[in-house]
Amino acid sequence: MKFKLTLIVALVAFSFSQAQDNKAFKAGEKLTFAASYNMSGILTDIAEVKMETSEMKTSSATLLHLKCTATTYSDFDSYFKIRDLYESYVNPRTVTPYLYNREINEGGYYKFVKYKYNHKANLVESLIRKKTNKTKTGFWDQNNNVKINGNTRDIVSTIYKIRTLDINKAPIGASDSFTVLFDNKMTKISFTLLAKETINTAIGKKECYKLAISVAGNNFLKGNNANLLWLTADDNKIPVYAKFKIAVGSGELKIKSATGLKN
Amino acid sequence: MRKISIILGLIFAVLAVILSVLPLYKLSFIPAILALAFGLLAFLKSKKNQEPTHVIQVVFLITIIALALATYKSIFSVKEVGDTKELKQLEQQRQEEAKEELEDLIIID
Repeated sequence: MKFKLTLIVALVAFSFSQAQDNKAFKAGEKLTFAASYNMSGILTDIAEVKMETSEMKTSSATLLHLKCTATTYSDFDSYFKIRDLYESYVNPRTVTPYLYNREINEGGYYKFVKYKYNHKANLVESLIRKKTNKTKTGFWDQNNNVKINGNTRDIVSTIYKIRTLDINKAPIGASDSFTVLFDNKMTKISFTLLAKETINTAIGKKECYKLAISVAGNNFLKGNNANLLWLTADDNKIPVYAKFKIAVGSGELKIKSATGLKN
Repeated sequence: MRKISIILGLIFAVLAVILSVLPLYKLSFIPAILALAFGLLAFLKSKKNQEPTHVIQVVFLITIIALALATYKSIFSVKEVGDTKELKQLEQQRQEEAKEELEDLIIID
């Protein structure tokens, strides 16, 4: 009996990724961040990152539109202009994605990725568009059908999905992983709850969950426990601060403003 | 030692000036401090051996210009996003396309 009880408690505690309803965000939420580059302790603000939610109604359904944009500050535009758009159309309750767009314009490099999910067949219709001089339109399209597993999401819906988890029930050290489809490849991203700490942010002093992010087989994000995410330890679970280590130096993402919060 | 200090001081001073005019101007403080350190070292050596200090003065002058520029930009420059008109149009276009694509979608929870 004691063993069974322990097993049940352990199962509840260690898996904070069960199908929870979304109680963390609603349409109309707008989060603004400043992305900075850190070299030898000197921080330089490079870009503004926005995360917005809105409602999208079709004739048969109401979806939640999750949109993330990254825009370099004007003084960087003449050197390395970034205008990135990442968006996902999801089920407002379960955050299951149905359509994903990623359009990046980074210093002259262009790429457009579109995923249309078919959850019944566990398939994703993928379109990858790049610029080329070899075609009349100036674009080169690559269409594919990618087999996914039941819990595969895109990067945008994964970020929002983390906010819906019952992290308050998880003990320190608990971890969870998500399968993310990125560039037609399935990547496993793991999150570990490291601690609960209070940090100062632009939206006030906040008690936060400190999560470590690790990406399996990825060379972009370096270091062990060097990629960290702080989510507010309230019902909104707003990402207020993120730290990530790259090949040269490190980067930071700090919240500037948060409006339209659900709770 | 004096010559090496002068050369390194000059290199770091020039690097500091270059960085101070770029958007990554905050990074210019690192070479500027190094330039001042090497300049001071070269200056002390020159004084000791009673050698000319003209080049060292140039190192100090360039470094001060770099520091002044970087400090001014740190205090007075306001970070604002550039032109996002194209991005807004793109967002609108993608949203219209998405609406068409998802028109037949039936959500089964």
